[in-house]
Amino acid sequence: MDIAAKVREIIVREMDVNESEVTDKAKFIEDLGADSLDQVELIMEFEKEFDLEIEDTDAEKLTTVGAAITFLKSKLEK
Amino acid sequence: MNIKLPELKIGELIAKIPIIQGGMGVGISRSGLASAVANEGGIGVISSVGLGVVQSTTSKKDRAANLNALRYEIREVKKKTNGIVGINIMVALSDYDDLVKIAIEEKADILFLGAGMPLKIPGGIDLDTLRKQTTKIGVIVSSARAASLIFRTWSRKFNHVPDAVVVEGPEAGGHLGFSREQLEDKKQTLENILPAVIEMIKPFEEQFGKKIPIIAGGGIFTGEDIYKIMELGADGVQMGTRFVATHECDASPAFKQQYVDCTKEDIVIIDSPLGLPGRAIANTYLKDVMKGKKIPFSCPWKCLRTCDYKTAPYCIAEALTNACVGLMDHGFAFSGSNAYLIDTIVSVKELIETLIAEFTAAAEKALQLEPELNPTVSHT
Repeated sequence: MDIAAKVREIIVREMDVNESEVTDKAKFIEDLGADSLDQVELIMEFEKEFDLEIEDTDAEKLTTVGAAITFLKSKLEK
Repeated sequence: MNIKLPELKIGELIAKIPIIQGGMGVGISRSGLASAVANEGGIGVISSVGLGVVQSTTSKKDRAANLNALRYEIREVKKKTNGIVGINIMVALSDYDDLVKIAIEEKADILFLGAGMPLKIPGGIDLDTLRKQTTKIGVIVSSARAASLIFRTWSRKFNHVPDAVVVEGPEAGGHLGFSREQLEDKKQTLENILPAVIEMIKPFEEQFGKKIPIIAGGGIFTGEDIYKIMELGADGVQMGTRFVATHECDASPAFKQQYVDCTKEDIVIIDSPLGLPGRAIANTYLKDVMKGKKIPFSCPWKCLRTCDYKTAPYCIAEALTNACVGLMDHGFAFSGSNAYLIDTIVSVKELIETLIAEFTAAAEKALQLEPELNPTVSHT
């Protein structure tokens, strides 16, 4: 499974943004216009899609697209 | 004809009147106010935030004092009433899990979880206990979206959903679940948000085979307001501001006097160190803070997970505790948008009698205008 592609796909779908905006450096709040509920929604979608649990303390660190991809890869490729 | 306020059923809990007294911290609604409301047939709510400091200004400012104080308040309230009493617990509190655990241990009737998204099973209780425990769980939300997120998460992860939903609109007091932009938006009203939440919850009622009452709060002031919001589908109301202006309210007389004295212009929106906007009565202290004055403080323990205590211009817990005990030069009062309408302090009994009479009058008036309508009210 291409984790990065899947993550981007979820973000495009949930945040209603263009694929071109979803770069690794893109920040969810500042660049993609996420509010606090969007962030919760995204974490929930990641959990559902990849069938895993994301702790609050981890979730708080996932502020960019790249950070989310790196985190999910590390969880899934263990 | 006598048109009465209906009961409010939350699972097997039955409140004689569908009025929930909103939890108000720090220290504003404790066992005194909560028991008085419960004794009149409503649901009284103790606010669990910062009780350790407010109970005794000499007590230690630490986590243990806070937890012990909640235990004490629940035991006290049970001595004073056989009615229904809930505990309001803010998700943003750093001791949220411990407070939930204690409230359940002490067999509180219901918890109201707000000021944050309760997405985890609180208090580290296991799934089996969650489904079987007698303590009900209500969640406080400000949008159908937030309600949807909570219910979808609970449904998927716990195969269980909360027992009640409180919809708090933008006219509420204290911390608000809206951004400043949303507060400016005229379409963001309780009357608009409530039906969306009701629709959102319906499929979960079917899926889990239980009635999930929806309680509306924020700006409800008269019995006529109660009638109108229940006509829109609410099963009950949550009211805070009116209950501050009662003899039984646990705040100091100086705190209550701010409600009596304030004008419409005094009621303002502030940015709380909690990270949410809040509605409060602007006194000298608050006006200074709003102008940029910093009030030095030491943070005894980080009580709010979301507080950036190193840069916060003042300590919200300290300011609210001071206000509760009457040190109004060193704190301020949160209030709903209608607090300026208050001109006197009454007893909880008088207040509830007034609300019931106003509700009946409004219902009878509506019935005379449109007799074929047979609304939510019961006829006896």
